[in-house]
Amino acid sequence: MKLKQLFKLVLVNIYQNKVRTFLTTLGVIVGTATIFLVVAIGTGGEAQVNEQYSRLSVGTIMVMPAQRGRVVDPLTIKDADMFAQSEHIAHAFPVLQGNGDINYYNFSTRGGFSAIPPGFQSSNNLTMQYGRILEEDDESKRHKYAVLGAELANTLTDGDPAAIVGEKITINRRQFQVVGVYNRIGDAGSGMGYDDSAFIPYTVGEKYLLGTRANPVITVQAADLQAVQPAMDYITNILNETHRAGGAEQFRLMDAGSRLVAAQESARTMSLLLLAVAVVVLVVSGIGIMNVMFVTVKERTREIGTLKAIGAKKREILGQFLIEAVVISLVGGMLGVLIGFFTVPLLKYFELPALPSISGVLLGLMFSVATGVFFGFYPAWKAAELNPIDALRYE
Amino acid sequence: MINNIKCIIDARNIDKIYKNGAEELKVLDDVTLKVWQGDFTAILGPSGSGKSTLMNILGCLDLPTSGQYNLDDLDVLTAGENQLATIRNQKIGFVFQKFNLLPRLNAVQNVMLPLLYRGVDEDEARETAREKLTVLGLDDRLNHRPNELSGGQQQRVAIARAIVGSPNLVLADEPTGNLDSKSSRDAINIFKELNRHGHTIVIITHDAEVAEQVDKVFYIRDGKINETGG
Repeated sequence: MKLKQLFKLVLVNIYQNKVRTFLTTLGVIVGTATIFLVVAIGTGGEAQVNEQYSRLSVGTIMVMPAQRGRVVDPLTIKDADMFAQSEHIAHAFPVLQGNGDINYYNFSTRGGFSAIPPGFQSSNNLTMQYGRILEEDDESKRHKYAVLGAELANTLTDGDPAAIVGEKITINRRQFQVVGVYNRIGDAGSGMGYDDSAFIPYTVGEKYLLGTRANPVITVQAADLQAVQPAMDYITNILNETHRAGGAEQFRLMDAGSRLVAAQESARTMSLLLLAVAVVVLVVSGIGIMNVMFVTVKERTREIGTLKAIGAKKREILGQFLIEAVVISLVGGMLGVLIGFFTVPLLKYFELPALPSISGVLLGLMFSVATGVFFGFYPAWKAAELNPIDALRYE
Repeated sequence: MINNIKCIIDARNIDKIYKNGAEELKVLDDVTLKVWQGDFTAILGPSGSGKSTLMNILGCLDLPTSGQYNLDDLDVLTAGENQLATIRNQKIGFVFQKFNLLPRLNAVQNVMLPLLYRGVDEDEARETAREKLTVLGLDDRLNHRPNELSGGQQQRVAIARAIVGSPNLVLADEPTGNLDSKSSRDAINIFKELNRHGHTIVIITHDAEVAEQVDKVFYIRDGKINETGG
């Protein structure tokens, strides 16, 4: 019999057993929908992580005090200079951060400020929207200049950031002249909120604004990804030498790469867990299919005998029942994917990042078909193996 | 004259022994019979006589324990499972006591099946099936399913299915067993008519009345066959 005819025969049988077919597919529907959603959540989660970390170079290492609050033995610009001497380290910049009132005429906002060495800007992809960057000269001559993040400039000028260049602002009542506005950079994942910050020369921040409260974080860029670990070892050694009192333990080293990897790992672990659940659901539903197919074969024993008598070969009987199982599971799979699609917006409502994807559809359908083939085979084989005489005699 | 007529069934010295543990049950004992092309034959015997076993062997559904069986010059005993399926499909048309129609298919679809298993094109198969059903007076029942047909009509659909592939042999197992007397007479008349058009027909029955209607009767009792009448 031609395959097309076999399909038609199967479809007639399925069509006339709609309710039972639907009940059989329920498990497959749930299983496939789960797989689809798992992939969607996985993709969404990974996309979210990648989005968060996209602007953070994986070779970045942050050196910071292990405890918040008053630090007895803070990091210094000298530490940064010593770090930078390692072959494993491309550059190391100390950054002083603080919060304060930032005023421009009558606009006032509470914001962050960062005191940075000039090299910090290029290594952090800070580019100019208006005006100029902080230069070596500003650092050495201790100019009381400031460059603003795009968002801060926007807030202070009520939407006209270009106007603030050349104007005077105050940070914690200390006066600075604005020389530039950076381009928007987004959340850099470091928690530094560049767009909302004002940037001033490092030494100015240290001496003029913070004084004894100066407690820098050092941002280290490893020469390459392989250099991250040796660089961290190197930093630890230096800290042990230069901060003998508390040693390296009073500082915390965080590298962006391992944070990214950890975040991706946890997203993946979550996906795998859900996938395992989905597979269990599908296996259970597969057993359901197997049950129903056995009942079907039993019910149609005499029919199978008849088909054999009029010339059906073993492989045609096997094919018929296998196709029936696969069609049932495939129908369930397609319904499952459909339901999955409608569930994705619901997940977003619960703030679960979910992205429907082709690979989710394919994986779901693949699993449903595999379930049909795997669990449909044994009953179909049983049907094909029936002895025609016994089958014809079966009541 | 005999030389010009083909021997359709040529069964010689057929034994069929069922083993049940140590016990052996000889259901067919040295059965020899020949059916020629165009014969209208009955195999008559009471239940338990071995006639169902004989019909299964003649229908290539079962193989004898020993003996020789040629169907239309084909040696059945050396055929494999797939070949037997092909032989059943091409050379034999079965008519069953309980009609054995597929309940979810309509009359035309039921009748088409043997042709589809033969690989015939769907349209051609449907056309042939319609023709046969029309010849048997079912032209207004083509799209009815078995449960929408009377017993007599169902048996006619079954007969149409048996002859749709122009088999060398129509094998009918108690074809009147589930029919009222009028439908039985109709069915026998259909077989007569088919025979007149050249079909070779073997009816397996326990009903002497049916056997009276045929040209030649083999009597079977306790697995042994003897030929009378004709």
